[in-house]
Amino acid sequence: MVVRSKTSRVLRTVAGWAVVALFAFPLYYWLTVAFKDGNEIFNWPPKIFSFTPTVKNFEEVFGISLGFGFGEQREVLPGGGNWRMGPRLWDSIVIAVLSTALAVSIATLASYALSRMHFRGRHHFVSWVLSTRMMPPVAVAIPVFFIYKDLSLLDTYTGVILIHALMNLPLAVLLMKSFFDDIPREIDESAMVDGASRWLIFRRIVLPMVKGGIAATAVLCFIFSWTEFLFVLTLTQTGLKTVPVVSSTFVTSTGTAWGNMAALGAAAMIPAFLFILLVQKHLVRGLTLGSVKQ
Amino acid sequence: MNDSDRKIYRAKLVDDFVKGRISRRAFLRNAGMFGLGAAALGSGLVRPSRVMAAGGDLTPSKDVLDWVREVSKPFAGTTLRLATESTPPSNAINSQLKQYFEEASGMKVEIEVLPLEQVLQKLTLDIASQLGTYDLYYIDQSWAASVSRDVFDPREQIADKPDLAMPDYNIDDFLPALVDGISKYEDRWVGVPYDIPIFIMQYRKDIYDKMGFKAPETLEEYYEQAKAITDEMGPDMYGATGQMKSGHYSLECDWTAWLWGHGGSIFNADGKFSGNDERGLEAMDYWTRLYKTMPPGVTGWTWDGQGQSVAQGVAASMMSWGEFFPYFDDPSATKVSGLMEAARCPKPKHALRTVNETGFGEIPGVGHQGGSSLAVSRNSKNPDAAWIFMQWATCYDTQVLITALGGGTGPTRESVYDDPRIIANRRVGAGTTRHLDVVRETIAKDMGSEPDLPQWAELSNDTIPVRLGKYFAGEYGSAKEAMDDIAQAVDKIVQG
Repeated sequence: MVVRSKTSRVLRTVAGWAVVALFAFPLYYWLTVAFKDGNEIFNWPPKIFSFTPTVKNFEEVFGISLGFGFGEQREVLPGGGNWRMGPRLWDSIVIAVLSTALAVSIATLASYALSRMHFRGRHHFVSWVLSTRMMPPVAVAIPVFFIYKDLSLLDTYTGVILIHALMNLPLAVLLMKSFFDDIPREIDESAMVDGASRWLIFRRIVLPMVKGGIAATAVLCFIFSWTEFLFVLTLTQTGLKTVPVVSSTFVTSTGTAWGNMAALGAAAMIPAFLFILLVQKHLVRGLTLGSVKQ
Repeated sequence: MNDSDRKIYRAKLVDDFVKGRISRRAFLRNAGMFGLGAAALGSGLVRPSRVMAAGGDLTPSKDVLDWVREVSKPFAGTTLRLATESTPPSNAINSQLKQYFEEASGMKVEIEVLPLEQVLQKLTLDIASQLGTYDLYYIDQSWAASVSRDVFDPREQIADKPDLAMPDYNIDDFLPALVDGISKYEDRWVGVPYDIPIFIMQYRKDIYDKMGFKAPETLEEYYEQAKAITDEMGPDMYGATGQMKSGHYSLECDWTAWLWGHGGSIFNADGKFSGNDERGLEAMDYWTRLYKTMPPGVTGWTWDGQGQSVAQGVAASMMSWGEFFPYFDDPSATKVSGLMEAARCPKPKHALRTVNETGFGEIPGVGHQGGSSLAVSRNSKNPDAAWIFMQWATCYDTQVLITALGGGTGPTRESVYDDPRIIANRRVGAGTTRHLDVVRETIAKDMGSEPDLPQWAELSNDTIPVRLGKYFAGEYGSAKEAMDDIAQAVDKIVQG
């Protein structure tokens, strides 16, 4: 009996590590590509562990001479010479953080109202919110382009932040509503009996109770904005670009600069990773919070 | 000083000494100084102020910059925008050369670099919205007909604005075949030829020597050689390779080369699709046989995968874009540096059809060209400033620098091929120009150009390659069935 339970524990551990390896390996491989030179990237059989690491790809992508500050580009590199990708990383951070903040702020207020207030057509309202997610983004991108043209929002932070927030809103509202629904109404009612206003109840009582939900929603919104491609491509020109769009510049007429692309991708993981790290203490609870209804 | 600069400087030094331009003493002194200074340069503490090439100084001519300075005075402070594919000329201008233009003109040039299909999307939106976001258009030859009315004809610009015309710009210096094949639609010039990727034969000389082969003279010989190499050396080495990704423009490019090479054409003189006629089916039979000599996975590759298969020593030859050749010679990026040779494409099996026998200005030729033009947009808010930039970007002097800096891409001006700086770069190594004689000859004798019709962008990027992809995926019973299906779809679109 003891032997069987030991065996099953070992098997479970092995299976667990196998699953982790399955998910972690592509990430590891991508990181190794960022540190390989052109020949080693395409080596067959692939050099997975034993290769000569180089920071050349990072130096090229960020225009830095590691250890000696900013360098001067002397070669014609792929990506049209947009080799200083630092500003593009900054664009991504600004857009992802602000669009997430905007979407989560609006979604929190809206979902609280949908969860607690009774008004005509409330259920239709929820369906309507959901229906906007059913439309393929590509069907919206071109009309939005023309609207933005008239509003002078093309190629601006405001424009991209707005569209990312708008795209995230339906999901954020639905998620947040489920979190609010889990908070017993009796809590609101008790506070009302004590004379608290609706706003006070929301701000002081209910909001702190859904912090986990807000964190989970924020992570999802952030990741969407961080990886979104189509709208940034369509609504920006030369003023700003996010990492996914600018990564495509490494696809050239004479091949793809995989090393450069991997270096940028590896660097781009860091801000996303930090953001998730910041909210992770709320995350697990947030992701499971909505799963059990009152 | 990076590795590339060191190599270039070393090459120039040796070149100058061998050709007697500098004395033995000067050679030794410079080599010694270079050796002593290399560590400091490599550390990034000291940076060279000028880029040198084997053939001389690679900075813009003073005369050209003086002209830019003078003519640009009214436009100082203007910002110009261009969306372009990441090609050697665009990359060279963006990363190395535009700074000289900006300093001289007081203008700012913003170049948005994107994959080809995204450039088309940007261009289409800009034209549809008449926004004028982009002052200059990068126009792939397959879009020329679609945008011909939305750009200025450069000949008109020269005639209408003599005060803005660059002295010695010499528009007649552009290779006539390229003007016809890339930049002309009906009687209009849709910009000027800007770059010229073109199919040439590129093969591993070591493997061909080992097998006792010479560069193939005919398409059938090419197939026989490819089959023999695959049979003998596969699966470590394959005789041929391709760019056969389903639904991608690259697949259509491969198809046209085999089609034209078998005496076929995309359209007949009546403007009907003719890829399903006898010659077209013969080409499909050839292509199907050749496909079997290629590495597994070739149906998932665009030109990127095709180039990599040669660069990494998996395929022994490719009849494809000459732009890859300088990359193959780069020892830091490939395993085939110095092993590749360039040759003209094999001769067609049957006589090529004449332009009169085809439709929509199609020019049959085994050397499929995928060139592009640069033009000033009619929607631009700064057309005069953009015209100044365009002349500078496509003038003789800039094109020499692009060719030398941009990795040996094919020049579109006749005179650039004979420039000493270009000739001096004919040596094994990154950015070689040792393939350019073949490129020049191919342009003159073998070049094939796709038809010009407004629907061509859709046909070449979607209708045809999607169905060709299905054929190689085995979704059609036969090549005839596939080509008949393509014929039906193409004719329907063309007839509107």
